[in-house]
Amino acid sequence: MAKQLIALTVNGDPYEVAVSPHQTLLEVMRDSLNLTGTKRGCTAGSCGVCTVNGEQGEVILSCLALAVEWDGRSVTTVEGVEEGNELHPIQKSFLEHGAVQCGFCTPGLIMSAKALLDVNTSPSETDINEAMAGVICRCTGHIKVKKAIKEAASVLREREVNHGES
Amino acid sequence: MQLPQFEYIRPKSLAEGLAALAEHGDKIAIMSGGSDLLLNMKFRLEGPAYLLSLNGLSELQQLEKLDDGSLRVGAACTLTHLAEHTIIKECYPALRAAIFVVGSRHVRNMGTIGGNICLETRCWYTNQSKIWRDTREGCFKTDAEQCHVIKSAPKCHALNSTDSGPILMALDASVVLASHTGERIVPMREFYQNDGVEHTVLKPGEVLTAVVLPPAKGRSVFRKLSQREGLDFATGTFAAAVIGSNEQPESVSLVLGSVAPEPRVMPQAEKILLEGGLTDEAIDAAADVARRALLEVTNLFTPTFYKKRLIKVLVKDALLELRDQRVRG
Repeated sequence: MAKQLIALTVNGDPYEVAVSPHQTLLEVMRDSLNLTGTKRGCTAGSCGVCTVNGEQGEVILSCLALAVEWDGRSVTTVEGVEEGNELHPIQKSFLEHGAVQCGFCTPGLIMSAKALLDVNTSPSETDINEAMAGVICRCTGHIKVKKAIKEAASVLREREVNHGES
Repeated sequence: MQLPQFEYIRPKSLAEGLAALAEHGDKIAIMSGGSDLLLNMKFRLEGPAYLLSLNGLSELQQLEKLDDGSLRVGAACTLTHLAEHTIIKECYPALRAAIFVVGSRHVRNMGTIGGNICLETRCWYTNQSKIWRDTREGCFKTDAEQCHVIKSAPKCHALNSTDSGPILMALDASVVLASHTGERIVPMREFYQNDGVEHTVLKPGEVLTAVVLPPAKGRSVFRKLSQREGLDFATGTFAAAVIGSNEQPESVSLVLGSVAPEPRVMPQAEKILLEGGLTDEAIDAAADVARRALLEVTNLFTPTFYKKRLIKVLVKDALLELRDQRVRG
């Protein structure tokens, strides 16, 4: 099971890393690249805490993706969400609404929310439920999370309007 | 959980992949999205020496309208791609409904239609961690000649949870199975087998390359029941397709899913609706047939008595909804 050199871009940074076929994207990011923002949860595709965004900004479960398949591709993790030195509106909103309890699922929640709001800044209740169904918060629930997403959506909508005027 | 080790094969063309399949026989597993196979490998239910990846084969990711009006869908199209595709939304809304309830958006972004059709069967006994299984006796899926779902059964009774299978059967779709010696086309109604281990007619060396949907005709409906609305295997699914009027239907196709090792066609219930039309009495009778058709076993999580009650309501509700749909040519 020879190792293979892959070129992987994470948060805009290019990496070359030797991986075995059986290593998942999650394992390579955490163990080889030391990018530990993405969490290792159930590792069985049930909990969603390992969610990262793929090339089109779509949500991907990094625990069920083989690293070799990501040769030449790019991903965004929670470490790459902030804009310059400022937190992304979704992150700010999560903080303001206390949509974090132990924080373990937060990277998965943020990446799932970002995938939704990147394409839809006026999500309905159903849209939010559907987008977030794949991430499970074991501490408390999704009420504050949903409030935070709605708030972030309105910030992003305002930003769109301002951009439109300028 | 970590994956067991394997040799990774990424063919540049389907032909190259088929040659690898022929060469490695039953030592090779086929992966497209990976959300089912990799999970089973992590649970040590499968340990292939070779893994053939279909990702990157653009010839398996095409949607193509054929001359006779049917739609050929490449097996490696992701479920999200199909659920958001205009043709599927407009012409096959019941299929769209079935695809949209698979797993979560995360799973649908990775999972493919071919993978969902071939989804591995599951049961409450074997789909546990290896440590859990090692303390107990084996079964047909592992290393013994017994089934824990039905103790005296001569074969595996794991549950087939495919969400897309029943509606594809009801819509009279076919699948294209390719091997290095050629292709064969199998109607979806003949694709599954009532055995949890050999649950499809796929032979070693064969791969499902496409689904062919006949031109959209008549009305169809799909319903799924599950304990949670998102990210859950079905407690029961029901798919129905009717061509013709409510009073005198020309054809009726009813399929129950997640009740057995194969999606169940219900010929007796179909006959009732064909002869009686979609009247209240006929729908009631058909729903009752569905209830009685279930075996008295708990394959996965739902106790049978509960499931039997649910299925009757599920079938009735779906058929009433179908009856109210506008009749299409």
